[in-house]
Amino acid sequence: MSSVMKTTRDVKGIGLSIVRPDAPDKVTGVVQYVADLSPRGLLHAKLLRSPYAHARILKIDVSKARALPGVRAVLTAADIPELKKKAPTRAHAVLAIDRVVFAGQPVAAVAADEPAIAEEALDLIDVQYEVLAVSADPLEAMKPGAPPVADAGTEADTSEAQAHGSVAGVATEAKPAKAVNISQQARLQRGDVAKALAESDVVIEKTYRVPMVHQGYLEPHAVLAQWDTAGNLTLWSSTQGSFNTRSEVADVLEISENRIKVIPMECGGGFGGKIRALCEPITAILARVTARPVRYVMTRREELEAGMPAPQVIIRLKTGVKRDGTLMAIEGEAILESGAFSGAVLAVSGVFLASLYRWPNFDVKGFEVLTHKPSIAAYRAPVAPQTIFAIDSHMEQIARAIGADPVEFRLRHLQREGDKMANGQPWLNNGAVEVLTRIAEHPLWMKRAEWKASSKGGKLRGTGLSLGGWLGGLQPTGATVRLNPDGTLQVLTGQVDIAGTNIALAQIAATAYGVDIDKVKITTGDTDVAPMTGLSAGSKTTYTVGVAVMQAAQNARNQTLEIAAKELEASVHDLEIDGGKVVVRGVPNKGITLAQIGKKGNLYMSKVEPVLGISHPAFSVQAPAFCAQLAKIEIDPDTGELTLHDFVVVQDVGKAINPLAIEGQMQGGAVQSLGMALTEALMYDDKARLTNPSLLDYRKLTSADVPKIETIIVEKPAPHGPFGARGVGEPPIVPAPAAIANAVEDATGVRLTELPLSPERIALAIANGK
Amino acid sequence: MRRFELLLPQSVDECVRTLAQQGPETKLLAGGTDLLPQLKNGLLKPARVIDLSGVAQLRAIESANGQGLRIGSAVTARTLELDRTVQGRYLSLAESGALVGSVQVRNLATLGGNLCNAAPSADMAPPLLALDAEAIIVGPKGERRVPVATFFTGVRKTVLAPDELLVELALPATGPNSGGNYLRHTPRRELDIAVVGVASQLTLANGVCAKARIALAAVAPVPLRATGAERALEGQRVTPELIARAADLALEVARPISDQRGSADFRRHLVRVLTRRTLTTALARASA
Ligand SMILES: Cc1cc2nc3c(=O)[nH]c(=O)nc-3n(C[C@H](O)[C@H](O)[C@H](O)COP(=O)(O)OP(=O)(O)OC[C@H]3O[C@@H](n4cnc5c(N)ncnc54)[C@H](O)[C@@H]3O)c2cc1C
Repeated sequence: MSSVMKTTRDVKGIGLSIVRPDAPDKVTGVVQYVADLSPRGLLHAKLLRSPYAHARILKIDVSKARALPGVRAVLTAADIPELKKKAPTRAHAVLAIDRVVFAGQPVAAVAADEPAIAEEALDLIDVQYEVLAVSADPLEAMKPGAPPVADAGTEADTSEAQAHGSVAGVATEAKPAKAVNISQQARLQRGDVAKALAESDVVIEKTYRVPMVHQGYLEPHAVLAQWDTAGNLTLWSSTQGSFNTRSEVADVLEISENRIKVIPMECGGGFGGKIRALCEPITAILARVTARPVRYVMTRREELEAGMPAPQVIIRLKTGVKRDGTLMAIEGEAILESGAFSGAVLAVSGVFLASLYRWPNFDVKGFEVLTHKPSIAAYRAPVAPQTIFAIDSHMEQIARAIGADPVEFRLRHLQREGDKMANGQPWLNNGAVEVLTRIAEHPLWMKRAEWKASSKGGKLRGTGLSLGGWLGGLQPTGATVRLNPDGTLQVLTGQVDIAGTNIALAQIAATAYGVDIDKVKITTGDTDVAPMTGLSAGSKTTYTVGVAVMQAAQNARNQTLEIAAKELEASVHDLEIDGGKVVVRGVPNKGITLAQIGKKGNLYMSKVEPVLGISHPAFSVQAPAFCAQLAKIEIDPDTGELTLHDFVVVQDVGKAINPLAIEGQMQGGAVQSLGMALTEALMYDDKARLTNPSLLDYRKLTSADVPKIETIIVEKPAPHGPFGARGVGEPPIVPAPAAIANAVEDATGVRLTELPLSPERIALAIANGK
Repeated sequence: MRRFELLLPQSVDECVRTLAQQGPETKLLAGGTDLLPQLKNGLLKPARVIDLSGVAQLRAIESANGQGLRIGSAVTARTLELDRTVQGRYLSLAESGALVGSVQVRNLATLGGNLCNAAPSADMAPPLLALDAEAIIVGPKGERRVPVATFFTGVRKTVLAPDELLVELALPATGPNSGGNYLRHTPRRELDIAVVGVASQLTLANGVCAKARIALAAVAPVPLRATGAERALEGQRVTPELIARAADLALEVARPISDQRGSADFRRHLVRVLTRRTLTTALARASA
């Protein structure tokens, strides 16, 4: 995958800032989402959800609900032969069988002529529960004797880690026999930590906490299911990966994959929350039972109560350094609260804690713990923001403690390409040093002392920065590029466009083939027609599918030139594509248009092959991507209110294929990161019930909270990326929590270690003189 | 949302008659910004909903013989925010209206809905308490007037009987040397619910405080007046030290709980901060 491409002429392709062509239709409401589809005979699904986090189901009586006019089906687990106990994933746990394990778990399902009738039917279902003791807190849940979450003998689910393809080679450990809720456990060790800590001059120990947070996509989970009489299922789904959805649904329903067609609809955001099948299986079953199309759209409340949020992460760190700043050792423990089902990406945390900086000795343990809460899923750079919050906050405190410049201290110890990660693999080419160096040159950082000194009117001013990143994902994929009879190109992938990637892929095709972008159309096909492809996740769409598209376009270009060579009786090596024509270099009037070649491929009795470029690569080399962020803030110490005056994002993108779209990713990621830093938390009571199940109390930031976000793109080419590009989606959600915590300490002298850094935490910490 | 029958009366009389005929499973709908989420979440499942949008009288703002002001219960938060008279004479009420939700919410949300929903955090309640407003209520037996300070009886509970309608709020005149202010704290700048809200109103005469009103939201089941703090101010020259003392005294009535919006500790802390700040601003406005 050489990143050096020979194009015969500069075309309008990569490097141009292009407004997403789908944007006008989205803002004017032309685009159809799943909730907009209403085929003839449509039924509406609703789920009855458990009010208890842990309870035995003694009896369910659905007779009244079934008798309500307009109700077409009422199902419980007893009606679904495929359901088995010990469900390894949420997708398999379609309806609770005899025990509910989180509040909001579906217990019964209804399909009715109208949504209101379906809701009334839910009111008529009588469920008798025996309420059981809950494991609501991960630290308690880890202890022997805690109320168990999974059925005994349930396997841990590591597919999320594989889906994100980010960290290999972390040995998992056997768990202590009695700690029933520890579902995964891992340990990374090197050197003699106890000895190194004993020899350290400055030892700092802190515990950092990040609560469960929700991805907050605009469009809730939604699916429409319909069967034909031959037993083939079609799913119109809001998914981040149609092939993955197909596999999961096939597995749950025990039917072959080629009987399922997943049509990936416009996806109104996913951020990791729409990787795993959530409501596809039950909707498909309702459609099968009723022999009607059935649509299910989750409400916002259901999303918050029973979606698949990010885990709560609790990280204890103990570090030792010499007074001159020499790193000695880090000891750490990361506890990931996974909710009712296993599936956390454990290893990311270990690698960042132990080896983002060059600790000669480390001992980092990771635990995945089950509790009676909704099971978790990925959220944009899963576990990286939480982990970086801990390690970067910690590095800042060490620098302050020894009186070192915080940027110089980080730069001195930062990993470099070739250094060994904690799992033994080498760090790959990345721009961590470059982005940190670049942000430290920013005027807001250079003038931070002046900003602090300018505090007035009782307010406190400060500046903070942080560095974080993502290791980069990989997954096999495929693409085709066709030459049309009019000389335009048609690109086909199965890749769901959740981030504006299709326009970037089209730009890649344009440059690789040698035509302007306006000659390229790209389509995301369904699972029946598109080449197999992976998830739109892990910052790998442009990095991997971009390579497939680039190679398919090169392949199409080569086919085109070969056809032209025959037609023009010239050598392929003397040909170039220029202005929609294949011409012989140096012989300006000898040429053939792309349209002529395209037509020959589609003429009755023609002997010329149609141009069809194909590529279906697999990958082995990741491209880590780093981002540094700076926050300039002001705090009202009495109310704890924090005003963001400026926010800067510096990110290494390898090569900016579409700078405008990349800036959008940098800003969007930063806003989500700031939400995690400042206001967001799913809050549970001691019975593990959510206390803030609405967007009024689950506080995503609004535009009133966020300043203009300055974006600075750094380009350090990724050796294996298309034209040097590396993933851009995930890095910008990583650094803000630590950057804000560092800024808060700069402004107030108070160090906060628990997110969100709410006004309450800030004001009370100042008032209590912490 | 479950199915219900929608009724659209055109006058206060017709509305009261409809309420009386329909019986208990009936809910009134003004802007719907509280009611609809409650219907959607299944907290309420009324058989009938009476939409008040056809009753023009409820949307009027009238100066009562050039003295006080009568504000219809269906006047929106947005109107209160922008109305010149309200801004001029009852600034704290305009300020509270301006804080509700977002512009879209304010265009729907009504003063009466805010009061009748009776959330402890209702933003437009404290200014009305501080302004000595009265609720004008109409039912099958005619009209009655209740001070807003005694309108609330508990969380989501008011003195209204199921067959009664809140028609208007009567605000007495404030006089020339009077100034008020409403402040609340929310973790988010917009689209958030008060963790604590405080309204203060000071009236000066001959350099001393002739009348003081301080009303608190979200620190008890109902919005309430901090009468101890008020008494400490009345008859005195208002200094920063006195304001600080009044802020401490305001705490006496607060009985905050810890919930998803804030801890009891933080709420107590905020009562002090916001009382101090609103009194300081009210004093400046009264002196201006
Ligand atoms: C996104 C959002 C943000 C919000 N932000 C705020 C905020 O910042 N501050 C705040 O205080 N509130 C806020 N609210 C709550 C709500 O907007 C306000 O309480 C609003 O004033 C309610 O008015 P309404 O006209 O919409 O009431 P409705 O929902 O129509 O009615 C509320 C209740 O009052 C009853 N009712 C209405 N009118 C009468 C009447 N004339 N007589 C008798 N009963 C009546 C109804 O039956 C119902 O029980 C917010 C709500 C949302 C959805």
